[in-house]
Amino acid sequence: MGKILCAIRGGPDSRPTQEQAIALAKERGDELIFLYVADVSFLDRTAAPLVVDVESELELMGWFQLAMAREQAMAEGVEAKIMVRHGHLRTELVAAARQVGATLILLGRPLEETAVFDQESLQALVAHLQAATGAEVRAL
Amino acid sequence: MKRYMRIALAGVGLGAFGGGMWLLPWAGEGGHGPSFFITGGIFLLVFAAISLRWMHETAAALMGAVAVWLVHYIGGTFFPALHIVGFEESMAFVDWNVIFLVLGMMIFMAMFSESGVFRWLAFRAFRLGRGNAWLLGLILVLLTGITSSFLNNVTAILLLVPLTIQIAETVGVHPFAYVIPEVLASNIGGAATLIGDPPSTLVGSHLGLGFFEYAVEVAPVVGLCLFVLLGMSAWLYRHDLAAARGRLSPTLVAQLEAGAHMTDAPLLRKAGVVGAVTLLLFFIGELFDLPPSVVALSGATALIVWVRPDMHRMLREVDWTTLFFFIGLFVLVDGLEQAGIVQTIAQTIGHLAGNNLTAATILMVWVAGGVSAAVDNIPFTIAALPIADLLSNSIHSAQTGQALYWALIYGADFGGNGTYIGGAANIVAVGLLAQAGYRLSFTRFLRDGAPVTVATLLVATLWLLVRY
Repeated sequence: MGKILCAIRGGPDSRPTQEQAIALAKERGDELIFLYVADVSFLDRTAAPLVVDVESELELMGWFQLAMAREQAMAEGVEAKIMVRHGHLRTELVAAARQVGATLILLGRPLEETAVFDQESLQALVAHLQAATGAEVRAL
Repeated sequence: MKRYMRIALAGVGLGAFGGGMWLLPWAGEGGHGPSFFITGGIFLLVFAAISLRWMHETAAALMGAVAVWLVHYIGGTFFPALHIVGFEESMAFVDWNVIFLVLGMMIFMAMFSESGVFRWLAFRAFRLGRGNAWLLGLILVLLTGITSSFLNNVTAILLLVPLTIQIAETVGVHPFAYVIPEVLASNIGGAATLIGDPPSTLVGSHLGLGFFEYAVEVAPVVGLCLFVLLGMSAWLYRHDLAAARGRLSPTLVAQLEAGAHMTDAPLLRKAGVVGAVTLLLFFIGELFDLPPSVVALSGATALIVWVRPDMHRMLREVDWTTLFFFIGLFVLVDGLEQAGIVQTIAQTIGHLAGNNLTAATILMVWVAGGVSAAVDNIPFTIAALPIADLLSNSIHSAQTGQALYWALIYGADFGGNGTYIGGAANIVAVGLLAQAGYRLSFTRFLRDGAPVTVATLLVATLWLLVRY
C-alpha cells in the first residue's frame, strides 16, 4: 500500500485537489495524508509590531483547513491523516514526504487569479520534489 | 496584473509627491541649496523602497537616515553646503515618547496575547452570533474596531483574522465578507486612542496630548465612522451574508473551539489587573503630566515584575524592527526640515489654501487620505507633522485649535483603507487570507475599501468643519 501526500492551503481552489486526492486514495487503496504548511514569510517586509506568535495562529488555521479536508474524505469513506509543518513550502514538502515515506505527492494546479506559483515555477517544484524524494509527483 | 497595478498606483502617488517636491523650489521663494535636492531625493528613494516593497521598511528607513548623516559629515567636510543634520541634532528630533510608548505596549501586548484571550473572545463572538451570519459580521467588526483602539492594528489583525477565516468557513460565508470589514474597522478604530495606530501616537505625542484629551476629540468621530462602515458592509456583502448555510458542521465547530480556549488563565488575570490600572493611569496621567510612554512602560514593567517571564525571551519578542523604523524616519524627516523642504511645502500649501483654515483643513484631510491610500502612512505622518506646525502658526485661526492635526490623523488613518497597500494591517490580512487559500486582489480590496474611505473621510471633514 502506497502513501499519498497531498499539500493543501484551503479555500475553494483547494477543493478539487482534495477531491481528486480522495478519489485516487480510494481507487488505489493508498493511505492519504493531507499537509498544510504554515509560512509566515509574507510578513518579512513589514515593520509592524509582530508581538503575536503568528506561527501558532497559522498552525491553528492549518489544523482547521485540514479538518475540513478530512471531513470531506470521511464523507467519501476514506480515512485521511493530517499534518502541519512550519516553513517554506518547497523545503517542508520534501521533509514531510521523507517523514511519511510518500510514494505519491499531489499538488494543486494553479488558477490564474489565486495561484501561489505560476506554471513554470510549479513545473520546477515538481522536478525538484521528484529529484529530492524519489516519489511520483503530480500537479492536479 | 495586480502587481503592475500596485506599482502603477504607488508610482503615480510617488510621482505626484516627488514632482510636487521638485517643483517647490520654483513655486517658493527660491534659493535652495544642494542639500535641499539631495535630502529630497533620499526621502523619495526611501518612500519608494517602502511603498514598492523593494526591501524591508526598517532597512529602507535606516538607509535614509545613514545617507543623510554620511552626506552631512563626509560631503559637508568638502562642501559646507552639504551640511544637513548631525547625529546629536537628529537624536534630539526623535520623539522618544513615541518610541517608548510603542515599546511598552509591545511588551504588554506580547504577554497579554499569550493568554489566548483574543481567540477566546472571537469564539465567544461566534457563540453569541448563534450562526447568524449578519449578527456575526456586526460583532466581529465591532470587536476588531474596539480591539484596534487599544492594540496596534497589525496585532489586532494577526490575532483576529485567522479565527475569523475559520468562523466564516464554518458558517459558509466567503471570508472576504468578514475580513475586509475587519481590516477597515481596524484602521478606523485605531484612530480612536493614542495607542491604536502609529499616526495617532505620532500626532498625539507631538502635541503632548493626554490619553483622555485625545480620545474625547477623536473617539466620537471614530464611533460615527464605524457605524457608517457597518451600514456599508451590510450592503456590500449582502449577497455573501445571505448565502450562509443554516446548519453548522459539528466537526468544524469542535475544531474551532479546540483552538479557542484560554491558554494561561493566571496570566490573563494578572494582565487584566495591570491592564485596567494602566488604562486608568492613561486617563488620569494628565493630572500629573505623565507622558503616555511612562504609563505604558510602567504597565509593562509591573507585568514583568508580577509574571516574571524569561526576560531574554521577552526582549526577543519585542519587535525592534518597528522601533528602528520609527527612529530612521525621524532622522530622515529632521533632514527634510533642516534642508528647508518642510518649510517650502508648508508655504506652498499655505498659498494653495489662501491662508484659510477651512481650505487648509479640507486639503489636509484629503491629501493625507489620498497619500496614505497609496503609500505608507507612518513616514507620511512624520513628514507632515512639521508642515502642520508651520501651517498652524501661519494661519491665524489655526493657532487656537488643532484642526490641522486632527485632519492629519483622520486622513492618515482612514486613508489607509483606500487600497490594500495603504496600511500594514491590510497587507498582513491579505497574507493571512492567502495562507487560507483566498487571494484578495488589489482591485477586489479597492472595490470595497475605496467607498468606505471616501465616506469616512467625508464624515471626518464635515465634523471638522462643524467643530472648527
